[in-house]
Amino acid sequence: MSEGLADGVGVARAEHFESVAQQREAATLGIWAWLITELLLFSALFLVALITRIQHPEATIAAAKHLKFWIGATNTVVLICSSLTMSMAIEFSRMGWQRAMVRAMLATAALGGLFLVLKGYEYYADWDEHMMPFLSHRPFALAETPAARLFVNLYYVATLLHALHLFTGIALLLAMTWMAAKAGFLSRHQNWIEVYGLYWHFIDLVWILAFPILYVVNR
Amino acid sequence: MRNPLATLSADDRVLLRKRLRTPVLTFLALLALLAVNVTLGATLPFAQVWIVELLVVAVMVALILLVSMEVIHEPPLIRLFSGLGFFWVAIMVGMTLTDYLAR
Amino acid sequence: MSASGSIGGTARREPHTPESTIGRKPDYLHAESTLRSWFLATDHKRIAILYLASITGFFVIGALAAGVVRLALIVPDGAIMTNDTYNKAFTIHGVVMVWFFLIPSIPATFGNFLIPLMIGAKDLAFPKLNLTSWYVFMTGALFTLVSVVLGGVDTGWTFYAPLSTAFSNTWVLPALIGVTIVGFSSILTGLNFVVTIHTMRAPGMTWFKLPIFVWTHYATSLIFLLATPVITTALILLIAERAFHIGVFDPAYGGDPVLFQHLFWFYSHPAVYIMVLPGMGVISEIVPAFAQKKLFGYRFVAYASIGLASVTFFVWGHHMFVNGQSDLASLVFSALSFAVAVPSAVKVYNWTATIHKGSLRLDTPMLYAMGYIGLFVLGGLTGLYLATLAINQHIHATYFVVAHFHYIMVGGTVLAFLGGLHFWWPKFTGRMYSEPWGRVSALLIFLGFNVTFFPQFILGYLGMPRRYATYPAEFQLLNVLSSAGATILAAGYIFPMLYLVYSLWFGRKAPANPWNAKGLEWETSSPPPTHNFLSPPEVPRIPYDYPIQAQESRDQHG
Repeated sequence: MSEGLADGVGVARAEHFESVAQQREAATLGIWAWLITELLLFSALFLVALITRIQHPEATIAAAKHLKFWIGATNTVVLICSSLTMSMAIEFSRMGWQRAMVRAMLATAALGGLFLVLKGYEYYADWDEHMMPFLSHRPFALAETPAARLFVNLYYVATLLHALHLFTGIALLLAMTWMAAKAGFLSRHQNWIEVYGLYWHFIDLVWILAFPILYVVNR
Repeated sequence: MRNPLATLSADDRVLLRKRLRTPVLTFLALLALLAVNVTLGATLPFAQVWIVELLVVAVMVALILLVSMEVIHEPPLIRLFSGLGFFWVAIMVGMTLTDYLAR
Repeated sequence: MSASGSIGGTARREPHTPESTIGRKPDYLHAESTLRSWFLATDHKRIAILYLASITGFFVIGALAAGVVRLALIVPDGAIMTNDTYNKAFTIHGVVMVWFFLIPSIPATFGNFLIPLMIGAKDLAFPKLNLTSWYVFMTGALFTLVSVVLGGVDTGWTFYAPLSTAFSNTWVLPALIGVTIVGFSSILTGLNFVVTIHTMRAPGMTWFKLPIFVWTHYATSLIFLLATPVITTALILLIAERAFHIGVFDPAYGGDPVLFQHLFWFYSHPAVYIMVLPGMGVISEIVPAFAQKKLFGYRFVAYASIGLASVTFFVWGHHMFVNGQSDLASLVFSALSFAVAVPSAVKVYNWTATIHKGSLRLDTPMLYAMGYIGLFVLGGLTGLYLATLAINQHIHATYFVVAHFHYIMVGGTVLAFLGGLHFWWPKFTGRMYSEPWGRVSALLIFLGFNVTFFPQFILGYLGMPRRYATYPAEFQLLNVLSSAGATILAAGYIFPMLYLVYSLWFGRKAPANPWNAKGLEWETSSPPPTHNFLSPPEVPRIPYDYPIQAQESRDQHG
């Protein structure tokens, strides 16, 4: 992935590495190892959703039909757009177009923010419709099927965990954008953009899985 | 190393088109696949539609992994790691289902 | 600047200072001496020492809790302490020993210190991440200690729902949060090792020249990466269940407590190999060094490490035979569990074949290693009893299980830890410990361990259930024997703490290679300089290039 770098774009070697190639390889392998853990973290939740569906099919379908399908779909579009801007940022970093790269990174963070705003509105609408069974003082809309609370609560755990990843991602992205806007960044740390891009794409990928598993297949 | 933003020369445009071709095509493909799934989810044309939906999701995931995350251009070790997690998810789900599908 | 002998600054007996150490550059211990240079260290060797100090502290806490348990069980009627106190004591013992000692023990200390040395690298791939992992570990530990100080937990180390979520009135939440956090330190350590072993090997250091210690740590690190996230999710759900009653593990809403056990053991069975594999790595280094013989069947031992790490993901259901999982699942998990015996046996046979016709020296590390082999065999074989469906019905949740896993965890991991600690102590500290005291302690521990835990096999087979504060009077003799053994074991643990600390100031200066052992870590000075090697190390032609070589190995590598 280091091919196609413009002149003056690259990575400064840290002391304990023997070569830049070794350093880049370590960083790429490191983020992939981390992404494996992210995949298993979310997959365990998806497994719980599957078992809930197997054990309580009617209640799960009733719960899934109450989720805000269209907000979920819109949010998927938002994240696919953010993947595009992230890919653009990576390409610009390779071309050495630093200002364009910074714009693309800001656009990515803005789209991530839009996702969180929509998610927040969705939570508000859920609250309004008495779809928060974990709140002990608030009656649950589907109280006549007790097992529905399993799936609805699982939806909150999964989406909150994803939102936490997105929030962390946006914070990291903004911090990195601040550094990446400075002169000389691309000659020293170009691979940060690539490594970060892998994380961002993967958080999108988790949502690409979460949206059908939570909103679509159980309808 | 040029650093243009608003004023693009003809060469810049050629370079830009070449570099952004893959991301934009991926983006369009993902949107199209999502449109299929959303339509299926909203209309529920037949009972086993979830199978089709999961297949569409599998294609989307493969597209992100292979193209957006550039696994297709990576050395074998990275390709192995990109698949390892999915294989282990299969172990986890498969072995757990030996319990739940046989109760 | 004095490169050596200024640890305490008092004793200046330097009869053995080797020529090579005079005027050399300061080693990693003396490079800087401020507190800041330790607590913000990025040198893998210093971080290993931070971990060593922390886990020793947790070992003491866990051992004291075990002492309380053995004290309570001297009498059958539970007269010494209340049932609540007893429950809290065995929970603290389990939680601290499993999550805060055994899992980080060998990887975070010896692995951290030795992997870069063994592969000829200057450091791990991500030194700052390495330091972060220690702070994450200490943060998790803080939460768990807070729960202990506030009044303790009584769920056992497994935190089974619904006891932990709906019934226990103790401080479960901080303990759960602590254990969740500590998982991230495992993940970061494992990630660092995987990347380091893949990318940082010295030129010429191919995979089949790596010491088995590195192979087993690679396998362990894969388990860290592939298993730990699942327990994180399980614990997050458990925390949500206890705090918000989300219902997924609560039968009152149609949830399934067995599902928690599936997620828990998907991690926690492989975690047994997180605890065992690094110990196997230690033994695979000690045995060839003290037999002065090439490790028998190197490739098989290497493959067996990866084999164990893979097979271990297919057997978790053998912890759940009596909890209502389907018969099919029990059958499949039971059958696959027997497969674990194959790579385990490969290792044991190869160690014994290495000892066979070797030039044996029974120094302290070797005594521990031989103790390990014997106890691991007993622990492993009794595991086959437990994997058998019919026998499991009889001995499930009895002291037979307790004895079985203590033979693996203590007889295995703790003995390997102590053996490795003595083996590499000269490398870590630059000092030799007292050999006579070392041997006496090793024998005491072996004796004390067996007196403590062998009676528990009998107790369990006779039907004494685990986790109860009281028992029928006819079991008292064996319980008193077990408690008496625990005091011998305690003495065996206290001696090394004393003479090892003593050696830091008064021990003889260690040469670079006191055991005449092979491996790149012995090529550099004791203790090593900051970036490990003053000149790039020369990678040997074959691994374990000891004087005595079996015919088999010469053919294989010829």
